[in-house]
Amino acid sequence: MSNRQKDKSQTAIRILQGIVILGFMVMMGRIVQLQIIDYETYSPLSMQNSLRMELVNPARGLIYDRNGTILVENRPIYTITITPAKFNPNKISTLASILQVDEEFVQQRIREAQQYSWHRTSRLFTEVSFEVFSAIQENLWQLPGIGHTIESKRSYPTDVNASHVFGYLREASPEELQASDYIRMGDHIGKSGIERIYENYLRGERGTEYIRVNAFGQALGLYNDGALNIAPVKGSDLITTLDAGVQALAEELMQNKQGGLVAIDPHTGGIIAMVSAPQYELSKLSGRIDINYWRELNTDPARPLFNRAISSRQPPGSTFKPFMGIIGLHMGLITPQTQVYNPGFYFRGRRYGDLADPGNYNLERAIAKSSNTYFFWMMDRIASRGQLNTWSSLIQDFGMGPINYVDLPFERSGIIPDSTYMNRTFGERRWGIGDLMSLGVGQGMVSVSPLQMAVATASLANGGYRVQPHIVSGVRESNGEIRYTNPVIEKIEWIQPAYLSEINQSMVNALMEGGSRYFGHIPEIQIAGKTGTAQNPHGENHGWFIAYAPADNPQIAIAVLMENSGFGSVSATPVASLLIEKYLTGEIKRDHIYNHVMNFRPRIASALSTENE
Amino acid sequence: MNDKREFSWSIIFIWIGLFSIGLTAIYSATQGPVAQFLPSYIQDNFFRQALWVAISAVALISIQFLSPRIFQEGAYFFYAISIVLMVITIFFGVEVSGSRSWLRIGPINFQTGEVTKLTTILAAASYLTSRRNISAENLKTAIITVLIFALPAVLLILQNEAGVAIVYVGILPIVLFWSGLPYGISLLMVSPALVGYFTVLNWKWGILAALIITIFIFFLQRRTWLTVTSLVFGLLVIIGTEVALHHVLQPHQRARIEAFTNPQLDPLGSGWNVLQAKTAIGSGGLQGKGFMEGTQTQLRFLPEQWTDFIFCVVGEEFGFIGSSIVLLLYIFLFLKLLNMASNQKHPFAQLVIVSVTFVYFVHFIINIGSATAVLPIIGIPLPFISYGGTAFLTNTVMLAICLNLDFNKRTFSIYR
Repeated sequence: MSNRQKDKSQTAIRILQGIVILGFMVMMGRIVQLQIIDYETYSPLSMQNSLRMELVNPARGLIYDRNGTILVENRPIYTITITPAKFNPNKISTLASILQVDEEFVQQRIREAQQYSWHRTSRLFTEVSFEVFSAIQENLWQLPGIGHTIESKRSYPTDVNASHVFGYLREASPEELQASDYIRMGDHIGKSGIERIYENYLRGERGTEYIRVNAFGQALGLYNDGALNIAPVKGSDLITTLDAGVQALAEELMQNKQGGLVAIDPHTGGIIAMVSAPQYELSKLSGRIDINYWRELNTDPARPLFNRAISSRQPPGSTFKPFMGIIGLHMGLITPQTQVYNPGFYFRGRRYGDLADPGNYNLERAIAKSSNTYFFWMMDRIASRGQLNTWSSLIQDFGMGPINYVDLPFERSGIIPDSTYMNRTFGERRWGIGDLMSLGVGQGMVSVSPLQMAVATASLANGGYRVQPHIVSGVRESNGEIRYTNPVIEKIEWIQPAYLSEINQSMVNALMEGGSRYFGHIPEIQIAGKTGTAQNPHGENHGWFIAYAPADNPQIAIAVLMENSGFGSVSATPVASLLIEKYLTGEIKRDHIYNHVMNFRPRIASALSTENE
Repeated sequence: MNDKREFSWSIIFIWIGLFSIGLTAIYSATQGPVAQFLPSYIQDNFFRQALWVAISAVALISIQFLSPRIFQEGAYFFYAISIVLMVITIFFGVEVSGSRSWLRIGPINFQTGEVTKLTTILAAASYLTSRRNISAENLKTAIITVLIFALPAVLLILQNEAGVAIVYVGILPIVLFWSGLPYGISLLMVSPALVGYFTVLNWKWGILAALIITIFIFFLQRRTWLTVTSLVFGLLVIIGTEVALHHVLQPHQRARIEAFTNPQLDPLGSGWNVLQAKTAIGSGGLQGKGFMEGTQTQLRFLPEQWTDFIFCVVGEEFGFIGSSIVLLLYIFLFLKLLNMASNQKHPFAQLVIVSVTFVYFVHFIINIGSATAVLPIIGIPLPFISYGGTAFLTNTVMLAICLNLDFNKRTFSIYR
């Protein structure tokens, strides 16, 4: 580098140093001006400063039944809050006396709040009485760091509990907080049922409120008379397909029992009633949670939190026979005239028992009298011809097996075995016809939920359409606009009207002649139905009943599962029959049947039931 | 082998000082009482920044073991890669609050525009030091240099990151000036910005600024055509600014530009941020309100208080003492780096160090100028202090390269 160049670069460095120093001086001068000279101006500004933005929670959307009855609404609750860093520990006794609780308890709650955060506000006591709330309000001046807010909790104004349909709310977990930008610490969100599925609709949009505060954070009132506030947007209401009367009756009838039932509108898939028994009490899980009750629910061997209506897996037993019949007609295995002789058993390698009277059976009689031989014979033909997979896919067309995409969480698929399933269970080619025979009468590996049976029954009732079961038919936004959900309805192509009328007749006969007639028959309504018994290796058998009515113009399809109740005709049939009567006529006239159901207890074998199932 | 005592330890201490202040301020701005107003992903900013500091420290140390030649020989290659990444970002980037400047690579989000600052500097330095000095008559080299800077700036504007693009416009005159662009022309290059700035404050000041700059240019260059050009140019900028302000821009756009001079005009709209920022800094006073005690910060009066307005957090909670420590750390860093440049013999190394210094300087002036209402609000981060992983890493890597060039100044021969 030449000297001249070096000089030049030294000059350039000087100039750059000059620029840098000049920039520094300007900034230095500016902070001297702001922080030293104008301190007197800005300090009071920030003291009065003045505006605090507060979030305003919107009202959660309401839930209605199909007739516009409010089933779920909100009630105000009063909450006392604390900001530990601002709280004066000497005031604990004052606080305790106002709250009317032990000092030690207050101390413990404050410690918990401190563990969460010293600076953030947390809830100290929720759901205090209005008197306590007012007393706190009057004494806020001597309780720095203590605050009060009005929140709301869910309440259930009718007899409808529908715990498994609505679901409960709980405080969002840390993982849920992480996953969402919207949810804040302490927010209650839907954890099950439609409260969970439709959380984003129900919760609405938070608003903001500008409040004038002094430097100690005490509110002085709305800023600018609230001109800048953004009002919260109320959550959307849900319009469900439930029928409050039928649902309440269904819950009543399922008291002290275990099982699940689903009643469905066969033309739309709208669920009229759904019960999983035992239920839990939603009102006890609303607002401040009763920890003992929560613990009880989680340890109860009857698993009340489990939704049996959509998640249990049980063999459908003889309720499977109508579907077998349709498939047999479609596959050409039988015609309505086909006769099969029942000597009291079916023989294929061994004897498969049949409790129906010996004699000749055609399809109609086989369903109405529930003869096993007819269906063992049919399953034998299917298995021998290697048509297991055809059979499996036809059964699945009815909605059994794969899930039906109901708008509830935790729906479980059933099991409709095909060769892949059999290979996986027994090993490649290590199963045979003997393992398949019992499928024909809905026993063995085949298993379904009450929801799946209801969907399948609906397709018998509606002329062969597969409906998507759903609870919510519409969402009403805060501006009053209703957006309807769009459940899928699909024709099952291969089902012929002739098959259905054949099955319809046999199911009507089942109610007239079969074991269900004692509890199932309603004088002025013709019901098509079929009972079933699921073999239960762990105890008393489970009872099933599927039905639709009126048989000539079906308005309701229903599936009832009663665990450990023996024959379906005494346990499940009367429940379904009462619900159908209630839905179609609006009242119950047969008190003796109502009393029978209310007095019925599972695990009690009944002398009335000697019929074959 | 070089003597370890020749390593610029003082720069490392300044670096540690700056990021410590940064982490402290980010902690207060996201984890303090204010956290109740912030979504959880912002509350985690502190921890993410701490992780990036650790990553950057590893990068800083690793770079010291590289041969200084790599930076010159790889310059065009690095530049090309970063430009390609920016183009990819425009099409496939993640959109964050209106600008598409983030590229997601696995778990990390990456701001490609930040890295390009470094690669542009290297490419321009490599290009300019391979040419003869720029003269007033031969401007071809200068024009190519302008293009090297313009390409990433245009891409940034396409990403909707005009604020960051301004950094390139700011460094360019310095780079050309250093490479021998005559003083007068260099001054002419920055004159529109200066004249425009003073015109926004007051059109009479604009005229004064234009006149002073013209006189300087006359004495520096003594060429009539340049002097006349300067004067005409200055007047055009004044008229253009006035016309734009009063006739072209919509009232709200004009309000945004003028907000920094008179925030009271619209205290709840365009003036809000300026007023709250000034109040935060001003109310800090001499000693500040204390760590996590700033009412402006903790009651969430400041926007973007972990990035663009982080200086307000320092000013409010640590007062004049805190903010002047920040300013002093920066001026020591700048002067130390310029000193390094003047001790260099290799022109490439010199130019790189000067450019890096001025990247920091432009960020420093714009960020603190915005926070203290000396400049209109332009959202760019404060080097080593603001939250932002890619920016922190890039800034540290630039510093590491300067340290490497300085440490190897004897072995990094000017002869190839």
